[in-house]
Amino acid sequence: MPSSVIVAGAGIVGAALAYFLSARGIRVELFDEEAPAAQASGAADGAVSVASKRPGAMMTTALAGIALYRKLARDGVFADLFKPRSTFLVAASDAECEVLEAHCAALSGAGVRVTKIDRATVAEKFRVLSPDVGMAAEVHDEGHAIGYQIVHGLLRASGIAVRRREKVQRILVSSDGTCVKGVATAKGEYTADAVIIASGLGSADLLGLSGTLIPRKGQLLVTERAPALNGRMPGAMMSCRYLLSKGSQKGRPAPARGLALVVDPLRTGQFLIGGTREDHGDRRTNDLDAVSKILADAVALIPGLVDVRLLRCFAGARTAVVDGLPIIGRVGSFGNLFVATGFEGDGICLGPVSAESVVAMVCGEKPALNLDPFTPSRFPKLRIAA
Amino acid sequence: MPKCDVLVVGGGPAGMAAAVTASQLGLSVEMIEQRRTLGGAFFRQPIEGVRPIPQRASVKARWHKLSADMSRAPVRIHYGCVFLGVDSDGFVLFEDRQVGEVVRCAARAVIIATGAIEKVHPIPGWDRPGVSTAGGLQVMMKETGQAPKGRILLAGNGPLLIAAAAQMAMVGNPPVAIVESGDPMRPGLTGLGLLVAPYLLVEAFGFLRAVYGAGVPWLRGARIEGIEAHAQGLQATVVRRNGERSAFVVDRVGLHEGIRSNDMGLPAIADASTSSPIVIRAGDCSEPLGALAAEADGALAARKVAALLGHGQSRGGEQALLGRLRQAQAVLAKLFAPTIAPLDVPDHTTLCRCEGRTIGDLKNLVAGADLKSGREVKHNGRFSMGSCQGRFCAANTAELMTRLRPGAPPVVASDLTGQRWPLRPVSIAALVAATKVKAPVD
Repeated sequence: MPSSVIVAGAGIVGAALAYFLSARGIRVELFDEEAPAAQASGAADGAVSVASKRPGAMMTTALAGIALYRKLARDGVFADLFKPRSTFLVAASDAECEVLEAHCAALSGAGVRVTKIDRATVAEKFRVLSPDVGMAAEVHDEGHAIGYQIVHGLLRASGIAVRRREKVQRILVSSDGTCVKGVATAKGEYTADAVIIASGLGSADLLGLSGTLIPRKGQLLVTERAPALNGRMPGAMMSCRYLLSKGSQKGRPAPARGLALVVDPLRTGQFLIGGTREDHGDRRTNDLDAVSKILADAVALIPGLVDVRLLRCFAGARTAVVDGLPIIGRVGSFGNLFVATGFEGDGICLGPVSAESVVAMVCGEKPALNLDPFTPSRFPKLRIAA
Repeated sequence: MPKCDVLVVGGGPAGMAAAVTASQLGLSVEMIEQRRTLGGAFFRQPIEGVRPIPQRASVKARWHKLSADMSRAPVRIHYGCVFLGVDSDGFVLFEDRQVGEVVRCAARAVIIATGAIEKVHPIPGWDRPGVSTAGGLQVMMKETGQAPKGRILLAGNGPLLIAAAAQMAMVGNPPVAIVESGDPMRPGLTGLGLLVAPYLLVEAFGFLRAVYGAGVPWLRGARIEGIEAHAQGLQATVVRRNGERSAFVVDRVGLHEGIRSNDMGLPAIADASTSSPIVIRAGDCSEPLGALAAEADGALAARKVAALLGHGQSRGGEQALLGRLRQAQAVLAKLFAPTIAPLDVPDHTTLCRCEGRTIGDLKNLVAGADLKSGREVKHNGRFSMGSCQGRFCAANTAELMTRLRPGAPPVVASDLTGQRWPLRPVSIAALVAATKVKAPVD
């Protein structure tokens, strides 16, 4: 077991790595170019959800991710930070109903508890929804967590002081080239028994992954408090077009600028409304067209939102991988260099559970998750950048 | 969609001067103003049918000139419109509250003239009903032509307190007292160079005469410690420099600790000729020097924009006037420098009113060796996350963070608020009603 580990990147993955490492008594140095949750983790929709995952590795990993949130909520680390709730997949058109039927079957097959709700029941029990809704499916036992709060909770529990505004610039290799010995920043060189790269898009420069990691912009909105309407929403409402936009269904390419509508009632009485998936554009800014379109779709689904005010818009860039799966595991032949990044829009759900397994791997144990589908070795170009 | 060379945001003295000068220089100008009248806070116009409060002849003359120039200038004014910001496509966004629609404007340049806001330091009870800013009371007098009702205590720092008290006295309800942390009458202040702006002396003399004539005590070198509920209204405790405490039972308290730029969340300044749009700030929202300086700065901003847009260089006397007014402000700041140390503020004191967060909450969050950024403190403490978007608490939170962590990099308000639209909460119905210009989002 290593006695010290360097982690590059203080997003949700880096913070969770710091937490699980510290819990084993391992000394952690956590570096970030800016500050914790400064990128995608601080601008996420916060879904701790399997509802929209593709069948296969992503679906099973998401189920493990949700289970870990429940455990950490019980243990106290995530107390008051995890809101258990269902996700309702909502279909309007016939095409959407068809996609939803297929998706429900896949979820059930993976052991997810799903209840289909027909049009009449929707109209009777879910008055908050538009009468145009054709069918819905309740995905049970899910939840919501706000990314920056989770990062904060993990860091607080780990008890470390983050090295802010200190970017990892290089990975230092041992003189015989068999292992890594640490990292270099503008402030100097640091050594440790192992190094884990979890710096999202910043990982590309360190590991020669440009072209493999792709920024995918997302725009999200938060409303003012509207407790009456919020109280009538039994869970997150997700348009089935999300499944299409995300490319969850095989054979349908994702558009360059897609909208995946999710309306999540927050504990504060506010609503979080998301979001876009865009291949272009400044990652930090919002445009009126996108905001207006998101809200038009949200109002079409939940008409009561028309009387609420928008409080904030924000945007961020998810770290996507060309083949749609995260990159998690040991890097090349270096026994003590690891990577965990590329979760695209799923980092809040998958980040902590993946970090737990990476820490097991770092400590020479068999990880609880099957990380084979996410192995870095599927990208032969991956190497330590000079 | 409105299209123009220059969109001016805000119809106070800076915005009006900017609009007049820009159109004189041959630019097409539109203006948005959130109220139904121009004038801003300084030249706030009375509501219809109300007799205005007495004002000095020089102020009246300036207003008449400015409004006459404005009415001659071919400027389209959008009243009842709230500035939301500039979006990532470079459009200026505003909410037209009369129509109920978010409008995008294609402007080559934006001159932002959103004025100043008053500083209020957190003390116990600052967020109670009946407590407002002193300048807010002053503007209310201008609008209604009447003094605020009941017993009023003014407290804080700076010349505005005297001006507000004098105006209240003139309309028949002088304040119970003025509590001032500075002491402009203390010995040894000659030679400060007050003669740099003789009009200030004239103005000050007039105000002081009104205040003393009405018998209003001016408690200098004193601070207000807290405001509590009382059977007959509000009880304010005042501490003097010598530690002596006294209590005032009043109906209202007007607090004021000077002014600062109303620049929370504003789009970044972009003043290269290639910027699209060009964004500059004018008047108090650029540098809080008061209404006279704001007029000069508005004209200067218009000249700058005209030059950037290729309408040629021009010069007025604005720079020299601004220099003198800047000096005068520096003199006033020295004159009113507090002569009593800040009081301890208890942990239960509200810091962020919208989210109900206290000074103690902030202390807990920033304790320890992990030096959290302003943004982290915002996110995890919810400071500046409420509907005022940090207008009331971001600067105080940043200041307190800096004080609590000596040696750490200082924190500024914009670390908490960031720069993004909408600057104000905006109706979802109005956003949905906005016309689209690009290909639809799938």
